[in-house]
Amino acid sequence: MNAPQTVMAINLVVNGVQVAREVEVRTLLSTFLRDDLGLTGTHVACEHGVCGSCTILVDSQSVRSCLLLAVQVDGTNVETVEGLGSLGSLSPLQDAMWREHGLQCGFCTPGILMSIEGEVRSGASAEAICDEVLSGHLCRCTGYQNIRTAIHAYFATKDES
Amino acid sequence: MTASIDAHRPSLVGSSVRRVNDPRLLTGSGRFVDDISLPGTLHAFILRSTVAHGRLISFESGESPADIVLGPDDIAAATEPLPFVWIAPDQQHLHLPMGDTTVRYVGQPLGITVARTRAEAEDAAELVEMTIDQFPGVADSLAALEADAPLLYPDHGSNLAVDFHIGDDPDVLEAAMAAAPIIVSRRLRIPRIAPIPLETRGVLADWNVGTETLTVWMSTQTPHHVRDQLAHVLRLRIDQVRIISGDVGGGFGAKEHLYPDEVMVCLASIRLGVPVKWVEDRNEHFTATCHARDAVHDARLAMTQDGVFLAIHTKVTGNLGAHFSNVGTGPFRVSGLMLPGPYRVVNAGAKISGVFTNTTPTGAYRGFGMQEAAWVRERLVDEAARELGVDPLELRLRNVISSEELPHLTPTFQEYDSGDYARSLTMVRDRVRAHVPIVDPNPRIRRGIGFATHVEFTGLGPSVMQEIVGFRLGGYETAVVRMEPDGSVFVSSGVMGMGQGIETTLAQLAADCLGVGMDRVSVHLGDTAQAPYSAAGSIASRSMTVGGGAVVTAANTLREKILRIAAHRLEASAQDLVITEGRVCIKGDSSVGISLEELAEYSWLGWKLPEGETPDLEVKFVHDPSNISYPYATHAAAVAVDLDTGQVQIERYWVAHDSGVVVNPRIVDGQIAGGVAQGLGIALFEKVLYEENGQPNSTTFLDYLIPLASDVPDIVMDHFETPAPHIPGGMKGVGEGGTIVAPVAIGNAIAAAVPEIAGLILETPLSPGRLWELLRIGGLINE
Ligand code: FES
Ligand code: FES
Repeated sequence: MNAPQTVMAINLVVNGVQVAREVEVRTLLSTFLRDDLGLTGTHVACEHGVCGSCTILVDSQSVRSCLLLAVQVDGTNVETVEGLGSLGSLSPLQDAMWREHGLQCGFCTPGILMSIEGEVRSGASAEAICDEVLSGHLCRCTGYQNIRTAIHAYFATKDES
Repeated sequence: MTASIDAHRPSLVGSSVRRVNDPRLLTGSGRFVDDISLPGTLHAFILRSTVAHGRLISFESGESPADIVLGPDDIAAATEPLPFVWIAPDQQHLHLPMGDTTVRYVGQPLGITVARTRAEAEDAAELVEMTIDQFPGVADSLAALEADAPLLYPDHGSNLAVDFHIGDDPDVLEAAMAAAPIIVSRRLRIPRIAPIPLETRGVLADWNVGTETLTVWMSTQTPHHVRDQLAHVLRLRIDQVRIISGDVGGGFGAKEHLYPDEVMVCLASIRLGVPVKWVEDRNEHFTATCHARDAVHDARLAMTQDGVFLAIHTKVTGNLGAHFSNVGTGPFRVSGLMLPGPYRVVNAGAKISGVFTNTTPTGAYRGFGMQEAAWVRERLVDEAARELGVDPLELRLRNVISSEELPHLTPTFQEYDSGDYARSLTMVRDRVRAHVPIVDPNPRIRRGIGFATHVEFTGLGPSVMQEIVGFRLGGYETAVVRMEPDGSVFVSSGVMGMGQGIETTLAQLAADCLGVGMDRVSVHLGDTAQAPYSAAGSIASRSMTVGGGAVVTAANTLREKILRIAAHRLEASAQDLVITEGRVCIKGDSSVGISLEELAEYSWLGWKLPEGETPDLEVKFVHDPSNISYPYATHAAAVAVDLDTGQVQIERYWVAHDSGVVVNPRIVDGQIAGGVAQGLGIALFEKVLYEENGQPNSTTFLDYLIPLASDVPDIVMDHFETPAPHIPGGMKGVGEGGTIVAPVAIGNAIAAAVPEIAGLILETPLSPGRLWELLRIGGLINE
């Protein structure tokens, strides 16, 4: 085998669960999440940092998991779409996306949800998310209009409660 | 026509119920092909040509540590050629050989390596030695027709693959043109673009050594079609092959047939006896998956001095790429068929020339030929209005077919069904009139509003018509609707979900017909071991029209059986019964009745049935429609053009459309919004670039731009509904209209904003660089 075999041990928290694994150094974070941990909600649509499908949170900051190696998140707190809500209890943001038809094929959706989640935590406004953050994602299906509607609807329910 | 749902007009059709599959997609529990793993799965990498034209003279796997390496000779020996599906008149190439050693485009698959991981398969591929003897190449269709152009198929003698007419006889047409007082003629181009579903293609193939069966999870729009093709190519019986298409991350036409690389993955699984997975990466996708459009139109519109249209004709030079795709000249042909649009013309026709070049084959993409037709026709109409000095919208109203004239047979043999084309024009006109123009003191920002209108061909199609046009796909759809012993409802159809919400809308139809709630219905698609046969799958905006029509009739037939059984149980007449909220009761007296659970339980036992009734509560119905269905729409765009940068901003966008009965308004709006966004991409950004010799220059999202949120405005939509008279349920297709009309609505708006260059707006994309060039030619740049 000529493939590099350099392996490193990493420890991190993923969706609230402590994880310890040995990974090949060249393994992308997106590959680690999907293949090693079975968290297939994180999607990969370009592997060159443009589409945003692979967006997750590392220590509450949104990052593109196709542009990081798994070894780079050693010691961090990682959150993926699987940590947001579950089938029977969607998060308010997921519910707003459902209600407003903010997704069609759903391939881009987990990345968009995680980006918005990260921005909401850092205090961004609905307008800033619609105008700037959303433009960091490619969605080929929706034309974005209903995603904007969902973001505003989510902020409206959030501000009420 | 059989029973209509209007007989007991229910509450679910027409209601924006939430989509049934969204919770799984929102929580990361979807199952796209790359999400599926089987124990012991190995991973594949496809070796591709990096040169545009040449001959592979050696393929040495040498020291490669892969579990298996298959080269062209192995692949050719183990396979039959892949048959093409839509065959043009006198088309000589009828199938694609697997493992061809003549290389005709960059990205052409030549071999496969398989290893423990994708990375190791890529490492192994680096050790495979391929030597390609390089020939000169040609990428442009007009250049490929020149006398000294390199020939892709020397045996064929020319790069002109096929050449034929559609519509009126050419002599008749030329006579009409010669007699016409005014002819507006232009050369218009629709460049090569790419569908770009966000999920690329992917395959997980699992050959079961014991049962000698092949199960393939695949991201596809057409599971049965792919199954039939795969069995043929791999020399298996069709019943040995099962295709399972789970969640599909967008298709848009790119995933409507079997690709040679997908065959290689299946062959590797058969050879190794273990599951093999391959998921296309984005760079591969840009050259390995079909492109679309790439047509030059020399088009003419003939009219009287008063602007009454007489004839329309186009000569299409269509770039097929390196070989015929599944659909071959189909898109160019549909451009001709739909060229007349919603206008009354005496004569119409097209000459179609399909040309081989050293580029990725062109195939289906949302708007299939009709986006090109709309660009050509609606630009000609605006140019005609400019020449006549009349308002472009008034010129359209003068020529549009009136509702009294429907049904209407066009010179290109389309029998338009129903509607009020003028109404969509006046609705948008009224919206635009109410719009308060933006006041901007900057004289270097110009503003304008453009209109475009169309009629669309949706819902392939009567099978007999497919036979006439040489399209080897049956045009029918079959539905199975079954009430299970607990009263829940199982619906199965051969159409496929890929984001368009068809699981939800089929459930709405079945629930309505059967008088049960959405929570009692489940829709099953995509598994050829379970779904009824579908030759054409989800293409051509046909899922709701043809597949939905099948569900309506099957569910209504089942409903009648349930009423007969209930009538027997209740000692009443079936005509006096209704199904409501999960119970069959006497009309006007809900105290007398029987629950569907109880009725279903006893029916499946075979107990308490009327004389001659079978116990099963299952109906299968095959719906082969008697005609295409023809939705239509008018769009308007308000644009701002920056004369200093060539930048275009879409400030407002309006749509008025009629796609027959709307099953779920929110889903229909979503289809239009998404379609318009793709059309906006065509108008302003998208073009697959090649060097003259066939080297591709668009291989990442950095050099092929698709619209971002900041590019796409919110759209104002008006709906009205004229049912398709020949479709049970009355639905027409809605998947493609947004994409068809938007590019030319935007093009016409730019022409309106900068009339000095209106005559130069002949080609998309109107990107800043291109538009700046036109503005410079128009003398509008301060240099
Ligand atoms: S997959 Fe990471 S940005 Fe596209
Ligand atoms: S919903 Fe399909 S790409 Fe966004």
